[in-house]
Amino acid sequence: MPDALESLLENPRIWRGQARAEAAGWQGLASGYPKLDRHLPGGGWPHPALTEILVDHYGCGELQLLMPALAKLSQPGDAAAAGWIAWVAPPFAPYPPALSQWGVNLSRVLIVRPGTAQEALWAAEQALSSGNCAAVLLWSEALDDAASRRLQLAAEKGRSWAIAFRSLKALSQPSAAALRIRIDAGAEGTDLGILKNRGGRPAVVRDYAG
Amino acid sequence: MATSEKPPARLREATPTSPVKSPRSRNQSLDLVLAELPQVGSSLQPAIPPRQLWLSVHLPALPLEALLDTATAAAVFEDRQGLRKVLLANGQARAAGIGPGLTVNAALALLPTVHLGERNPLREAEVLRAIAAWAEGFTSLACIEPPAVLLLEIAGSLKLFGGIRTLRQRIVDELDSQGFAASVAIAPTPLAATWLARAGQRACIRDPRNLVGRLGLLPLGCAAWPQAVCTSLEGMGVTTIGEALRLPRSGFAKRFGAARLLELDRAAGRLPDPRASYRAAERFIADFDLSEEQDDAGLLLNACHELLLRLERFLLRRQLAVQYLEFSFFHLQVPATPLSLGCVQPDRAVQHWFSLLEIRFERLALPAPVIAIRLCAGQGQPFTAQTENLKFKRRESQPQNTPITHLAERLSARIGEASVHGVMTVAEYRPQYAWQLCSNFAVAPHCTSTPLGHTNSLVVQRPLWILEEPRRLETHRGVPCYQGPLQLLGEPERLETGWWDGEGIARDYFAAVNPKRVHLWVYRNRGKDKDHWYLHGMFG
Repeated sequence: MPDALESLLENPRIWRGQARAEAAGWQGLASGYPKLDRHLPGGGWPHPALTEILVDHYGCGELQLLMPALAKLSQPGDAAAAGWIAWVAPPFAPYPPALSQWGVNLSRVLIVRPGTAQEALWAAEQALSSGNCAAVLLWSEALDDAASRRLQLAAEKGRSWAIAFRSLKALSQPSAAALRIRIDAGAEGTDLGILKNRGGRPAVVRDYAG
Repeated sequence: MATSEKPPARLREATPTSPVKSPRSRNQSLDLVLAELPQVGSSLQPAIPPRQLWLSVHLPALPLEALLDTATAAAVFEDRQGLRKVLLANGQARAAGIGPGLTVNAALALLPTVHLGERNPLREAEVLRAIAAWAEGFTSLACIEPPAVLLLEIAGSLKLFGGIRTLRQRIVDELDSQGFAASVAIAPTPLAATWLARAGQRACIRDPRNLVGRLGLLPLGCAAWPQAVCTSLEGMGVTTIGEALRLPRSGFAKRFGAARLLELDRAAGRLPDPRASYRAAERFIADFDLSEEQDDAGLLLNACHELLLRLERFLLRRQLAVQYLEFSFFHLQVPATPLSLGCVQPDRAVQHWFSLLEIRFERLALPAPVIAIRLCAGQGQPFTAQTENLKFKRRESQPQNTPITHLAERLSARIGEASVHGVMTVAEYRPQYAWQLCSNFAVAPHCTSTPLGHTNSLVVQRPLWILEEPRRLETHRGVPCYQGPLQLLGEPERLETGWWDGEGIARDYFAAVNPKRVHLWVYRNRGKDKDHWYLHGMFG
């Protein structure tokens, strides 16, 4: 009888939420923040997939959120070689001494500064699907539904982690991202609003670093 | 092998009673002379090293094949004393009655659709060189015997290519697929192989002892001697190589030149015949001629792909790779449009170069339709292949692992070289000098990695974002403002250094937070403008 139930549940038309990730054996990338990991299916950032981070202002803590995971990806691990991290169209210059302080392997950082938003999307897609980059960070205001779908597919093709930074204006736009997180910096620490969570539930993580 | 038991053919034929083709009455005295004097062929003993084996490829229809597409009726003509006469015609033209010696007008009258071209020796030599470059794949010693013979020393190649039959068949087949009809002969000396191939004999002589007997039967014409020599020999009743070999050596040399005698000795293997190996140019240059002007991007890209394929074959054979390529697109009226490609590491793979070309070609503005394309490759460099681990377990859906340089090249091909770079830290206290861009980030892409941990000597946390030019902040009642008044956090970090190069700084850096909870890195100068605040970074 349990076998019959199992086979019924394996039917792709049945959506099982949180359980699905565990059943599929997803292994997320540990974010380095246990409070956040608890809310993410697979116990970490979805991989390979697109993650969207919505911020009011660049500089309000969006990089610190990612740094532990990026640092780990850029170092050679037990199973994988050191992965490249591509920064596509960053709004300011990433500061190498600080990256180094966070443990990022600087010899694996690739910075791309395209001229137009279209080129930025193209470059991100190329980097994702090349299979070289463990993570691709993209700052783009031109990311629409179709473009996010392309990024998601490229990430799956190259087994890479795509992170798109967008302003809060994009809140109402649809997106193909597996995870959408909104960052709200407050006096008592930074809150994360999980808006979309494939295989999990939306939630609010208060003071994630604390 | 059976002939080795009997006395060699040369000895048997060398007796004075052997039949001579010319009328006996006229040559009686000559026969007597022949009997007394040492003969051309007999004074020297065979002295060739037995190891050499030459495969000769004769291309009888080269003037035609080099010039015209032979799928339809085609013929090549030559200007002989003001008369344009057909030199060679292919099968379809011959079926219509067009043959050598026919005038061009007569040929056109017989078959108005025949494709006619004037013989072009330069083009023939070029094609022959291309075939020689191809033949370098079979042997380390290939040489060209103008006008239409190619010599390959194959003794060392037999084992690799699976024996003499297989090798010969492969050479014939591959030439055939390139559109060349070849006559191939194998002999221990290069001249003998050449003469046999010119005579159209499918000979395969491996034993030097059988050489002279076989050569003796060849007509004189296959030696390609000057017409005067042949006529004179014919007048003496000498029509085959064998008969020439029986003539007295000194008389022969006096009459026809020592060079002819040397040739005979070399062909028969009595004197060594050293050959210089053909070496194809080390740099690749190839043209692709379009039959008419084209401006269709797809067609032009296909032509470029064809050139790149040739380049890859060229490089593969030499174990080389190139770093720069230059395409030139030629137009009829305006100067050629150049398009150069470069990559970080020398490469030869077609897919890689083609993907770069596609990106650049997309943005290339051609001023006019293209009539020809030329590909010049840069200096060849030794190809270093990547080594990979032995994989016993094949991981599924693993993306193909191409080097990061390929990605960087694709990106810089489209968005500019200056826009793709890596970063590095510099041991320097001044924050703006503590880092720099590096464009050669991929020089040792697979081995560099700094150990995990805070190797940096900095104690105080640095911001993740830096402004390349510090931004002056407004102040409101002495409090710096950035989207609202800033609240300074903690103690200042004093950086006071650089007095030695005239760009010294004396600053107090603070971490600060604005009302939107953005963490900033701000400083004020010590000294005269101590009331001015600057924003230098964000903690991100």
